[in-house]
Amino acid sequence: MRRPLSVLGWTAIGVLGATGFGVLALRRGESINAAWLLVAGVSSYLVAYRFYARFLALKVFAIDARRATPAERLNNGRDFVPTSKWVLYGHHFAAIAGAGPLIGPTLAAQFGYLPGTLWLIAGVVLGGAVQDFTILVASMRRDGKSLGQMAKEEVNSVAGTAAMVAILAIMIILLAVLALVVVNALKASPWGLFTIAATIPIALLMGWWMKALRPGRVLEASAIGVTLLLCALVAGRWVSQDPTWSGWFTWTGPNLAWAIIIYGFAASVLPVWLLLSPRDYLSTFLKVGTVLFLAVAILVLLPPLRMPALTRFTDGTGPVFAGKVFPFAFITIACGAISGFHALVASGTTPKMLMRETHAPLIGYGGMLMESFVGLMAMIAAATLEPGVYLAMNVPASTLGPTAETAARKIAEWGFTLQPGTMEALARQMGEATLLSRTGGAPSLAVGMATILGGVVSGPGLALWYHFAIMFEALFILTTVDAGTRVGRFMLQELAGYVWKPMGRTSWYPSIVVSSALVVAGWGYFLYQGVVDPLGGINSLWPLFGIANQLLAAVALCVGTTILVKMGRARHAWVTVVPLVWLTAATLTAGWQKVFAADPRLGFLAHARSLAGSAGPDAARMVFNDRLDAGLALVFMAVVLVVIAASAREWWLVLSHRRAAEVHESPFVETAYAD
Amino acid sequence: MLTDRGTGVPGHRRTFAALRKWVAQALAVVRQVVGAPDYVRYVEHHERCHPGAAPLGPREYYAEFVSRRFGSGTSRCC
Repeated sequence: MRRPLSVLGWTAIGVLGATGFGVLALRRGESINAAWLLVAGVSSYLVAYRFYARFLALKVFAIDARRATPAERLNNGRDFVPTSKWVLYGHHFAAIAGAGPLIGPTLAAQFGYLPGTLWLIAGVVLGGAVQDFTILVASMRRDGKSLGQMAKEEVNSVAGTAAMVAILAIMIILLAVLALVVVNALKASPWGLFTIAATIPIALLMGWWMKALRPGRVLEASAIGVTLLLCALVAGRWVSQDPTWSGWFTWTGPNLAWAIIIYGFAASVLPVWLLLSPRDYLSTFLKVGTVLFLAVAILVLLPPLRMPALTRFTDGTGPVFAGKVFPFAFITIACGAISGFHALVASGTTPKMLMRETHAPLIGYGGMLMESFVGLMAMIAAATLEPGVYLAMNVPASTLGPTAETAARKIAEWGFTLQPGTMEALARQMGEATLLSRTGGAPSLAVGMATILGGVVSGPGLALWYHFAIMFEALFILTTVDAGTRVGRFMLQELAGYVWKPMGRTSWYPSIVVSSALVVAGWGYFLYQGVVDPLGGINSLWPLFGIANQLLAAVALCVGTTILVKMGRARHAWVTVVPLVWLTAATLTAGWQKVFAADPRLGFLAHARSLAGSAGPDAARMVFNDRLDAGLALVFMAVVLVVIAASAREWWLVLSHRRAAEVHESPFVETAYAD
Repeated sequence: MLTDRGTGVPGHRRTFAALRKWVAQALAVVRQVVGAPDYVRYVEHHERCHPGAAPLGPREYYAEFVSRRFGSGTSRCC
């Protein structure tokens, strides 16, 4: 009796999902409800988890319920801790979720909601979740080894070194572009800046509380921190209305960039208990709480989507960022569909906490499905905006012109309507001086979120919800900036240690200061250039970040494929090879176009040529930056080609029996948890 | 007053104790999700696996935990 019922249930979910996709694909010229997007997404996730994840676990990787995990064998009560599966699911999700799945879909909404939605769903099911699961299983079978170590052991040392260089370079670009998003969101916004500035003294207080006053009382300190932060959010309105205070907290882009650079340096050299760990806890609570609340609010409200399914910008003329829907939709939405960065988390803390091997599909595959769901929510939030408003917020002033009237004229040329008064009214509603050309994605996402959250809980008013959303985004982006700077510093110290031994001593103060300064200077340079770039910076930096992140995913999939081949499961290797081929094709195409395209809006070199002979004061600097960006894109592409070649060589050697198929798994130990 | 049969403990006390236990368990779950240290769990682990040796005090445990978890940066994603 159970089996027919199960077949019936899964058929129903399948039909429901197909209906969702049908509605998304066929409705044209009338607005559709966000519910259809959710139906298509959630049904696909359920079917993929029930069938594909199970296939990966049982048939491809042969997950063994009797095999003890590192958490069980090496349990030390600290980092190796067997953790119940739903708790670990929450923990893993909190570690992988960040600004990427929120900002990427918001920017990709310039193509309409359809391309991004399809890629979020198909990409996660066949690519992103497979990558996270593969790396999690591989690391779990190797006592929690990192991606770099596995690349070195399972592929070869060339691939290992290439992976490490790639990770460091990607980190630099990632931090620069995320910091740029924050600068653009807080620029000339005293309310937003006051709230974010308040997080620093709040974090110091929490740090002191947890270290000295009540050692280890993290929950207590976090409760105090969140309360104070909400007070600062409410007080921000008063700050923005008071002429003296609002003057103090109205900063220009370059000044904000310097402040973030100094903050990143301080967080990297100060003891972690003082600033870094309290901010991490604060941001985790806020992140998980807000994501859950947003999901509930969208389900309650089911808003209609105002954005069309496809816009005319799929042809590559998009004003938010240049490039056609292929390949640029696939690198703009990085984290919600597939993200190389997750391979670092899936080979970091999570594999050391798995209690049973059988929990890996839920954590690795299921955790990534939830991340994709966050991406869908961001897409919904962006698509609930009127297209004219969306464009007015996300297109740089160099295209839109300085006033609401010039912007309205430009937007009318693209075939969308915007009443000049609309933007002023919206800015007043959200408590901002202006919302024109607030590029970077964060402000338009915040307007979308404020409309949705304010539609469910209207008491606080839209302005408060808007600044709550800005605070939510900026807080966890800055947490990524400080943690990432520190990670980069350790990688640099390790690399420098090969050249000169003392630099490798991670607790030697001169080495700490020098390497921190170098990492901060690296991302700080790109951040500053992005801030002063008349084209807005996002147009050049976000694609670079997307390319870098997707190429890291390609490295992870190479490692996964090599492991499958060496496990003697080459006939199942398509599970990682298919996403690898697609990702490599999309990303190398995007990289090639960013460097060599003849259109100066798209190609770095063409843009540099278009400036040649220009007498503008910034011309020389912009030409240099274009060439630098082009060089960086070429380096990313070269590194990934090296890793692919090194891996392919290993596959060929093993498959032609020239080399023994040996994996470096830890030996089998029987679990004591078996049921 | 209502008393539980045989134990002599008033019913509301028992409810209160059950509630406290439930809250403590819920807080332990929250600690694990956000990756916060759990001194009680550490001491239990220590007594089980290293009987005889004295565990670290709460202050030392916290200092060690923080440097282990955050010392080399955390893998926070984009």
